[in-house]
Amino acid sequence: MLRIELTTQLRRMRSLMLFAALAGIVVIAGVTEASKAGGRGGPATFSALNFAESGLNFMDPVLFGLVIAMLGAIIGGSDRDWGTLRYLYTRPVSRARLVAGKWWALVVCCVLTVAVFLGVSVLTGLVVFGWHPFHRSGSGHLSAAAAAGAVLGAGGYVIVCLLSVGSIALALGLLLPRSAEALGISLAFLVGSAVLDNVSTLHAIIAVLPVHYWLRWTSLFQGGGRGLALGLAVQAATVAVVMATACAVLARRDPAA
Amino acid sequence: MIDTVAVAVHGLSKSYGRRRAIEGVSFEVERGQICGLLGPNGAGKTTTMRVLVGLSRPDHGTARLLGEPTRLAAGVLARVGVAIDGPAFVPHLSGRRNLELAWRAGSRRWPPPALETSLELAGLGEALDRKVKGYSMGMRQRLMLAQALMGAPEVLILDEPANGLDPGEVRALRQHMSRLAAGGAAILISSHLLAEIELLATHCVVMDEGAVITAGSLEDLLGTGSYEFDVDDTRRAEQALRAVDGVESVGTHGAQLVVCAPGREVTELNQALVMAGVGVAAVRSKRSLEEVFLGLVERNNAAD
Repeated sequence: MLRIELTTQLRRMRSLMLFAALAGIVVIAGVTEASKAGGRGGPATFSALNFAESGLNFMDPVLFGLVIAMLGAIIGGSDRDWGTLRYLYTRPVSRARLVAGKWWALVVCCVLTVAVFLGVSVLTGLVVFGWHPFHRSGSGHLSAAAAAGAVLGAGGYVIVCLLSVGSIALALGLLLPRSAEALGISLAFLVGSAVLDNVSTLHAIIAVLPVHYWLRWTSLFQGGGRGLALGLAVQAATVAVVMATACAVLARRDPAA
Repeated sequence: MIDTVAVAVHGLSKSYGRRRAIEGVSFEVERGQICGLLGPNGAGKTTTMRVLVGLSRPDHGTARLLGEPTRLAAGVLARVGVAIDGPAFVPHLSGRRNLELAWRAGSRRWPPPALETSLELAGLGEALDRKVKGYSMGMRQRLMLAQALMGAPEVLILDEPANGLDPGEVRALRQHMSRLAAGGAAILISSHLLAEIELLATHCVVMDEGAVITAGSLEDLLGTGSYEFDVDDTRRAEQALRAVDGVESVGTHGAQLVVCAPGREVTELNQALVMAGVGVAAVRSKRSLEEVFLGLVERNNAAD
């Protein structure tokens, strides 16, 4: 089912345009900052790796979340939107296989999103700003190798974080009548979470919001990885709870309903 | 020993909320039979078909295909061709790619055994490699039929398969289904095209208001009870025939009377006309599926 999901989703103009937009944002940012290379335009302009790190900072959490919420909602709800779901069930494809196929397709989309973004960021940064050690504001430099490792680590962490909001969108796409509704609710959750995250008096709520932990990857560029384990655990728990709930609701629901 | 019953439905009931969709539906279709599932809109035909292919859970009763109980994604569905609730495809992929994905979704190796013959029936030609979103309604319908038929299924469950097809395509579909049935497949087909069902089906199940009101061979269903009389005075003939006990309807077409009187011998009707002084030039037995169907539904409604 993974292959089928990837064939149907990644050949869509909508998906291709999303990836193209991601790459385009990076290239445009690089070109507009080209004249400020060498740190004259802020930390992002010191090196390719600085540019990539700044890009992650810019995209995470809302813009990356928006892209993945869109892909998750589409993957979850497209068969229902097209009416092909009934024919999948009669091939026959079990619900468990269908949900698993869609979830793995979401994983691939999360990896592709971050990989495309980081790949284009590093390449653009390399051309525009060159390959230099990573500049840390106020605390010296990180070697290029260590910074490259940090970029990869941050990318991996962001992928897991995106998987949590993607799973929410996917589950809503599976359960709601239209993927547009799933996308709307997912975006409301994402934006609402980002707003709540800034309200310190709501600590009890913030602590269980996956978005609260999304920017913890920045510690990788400070030579550590503080709080990443907790962040990963919250994302994993969110994915597990959301997908288990979706499966439980689907199992009770009449397929023709 | 091979079980000859391919489709078996017993005491099937299903409600959506407070609305009863079907109640106590029972019938069987054997291998080699083409069974027309007939009924007015809302009679419960599609609900019955959905339950049969596992797309809907019955509240009561059982449904079996090829001897195995059906449920969502039951393994037996791999041996069943389904076209239900109209065509549905991934719009940005070609017709061929859609067929391939549908086949591979069942974890089977491409190509399916009857791909060539089903594509021949679909007759899409070069359009098969174009995106489905550019297809007409008829093309989508033909692609859906190809999808249902490409696996050489032992059972076919088709909901309004002739929708959007031109007369030549309808005939080709009819011939194809007859060949499949002759090869031992069981076919359950719902349609509002009663003349088409009359040409195709060997058996019929008639449903109304969620229940089966009659089921049996088409031969038995059309057997007797409807006649055409050529008369010299249609007005007087109509009056005379309406007075005969058991006459359900009398229709006039020029100098012809079409009389529906199940259980009455033609000689009794002829005698009534002669007694009324009506000259009868000719009499023929006539009962189309349409007349039978409408008569059954009217009687069922009157009984309510």
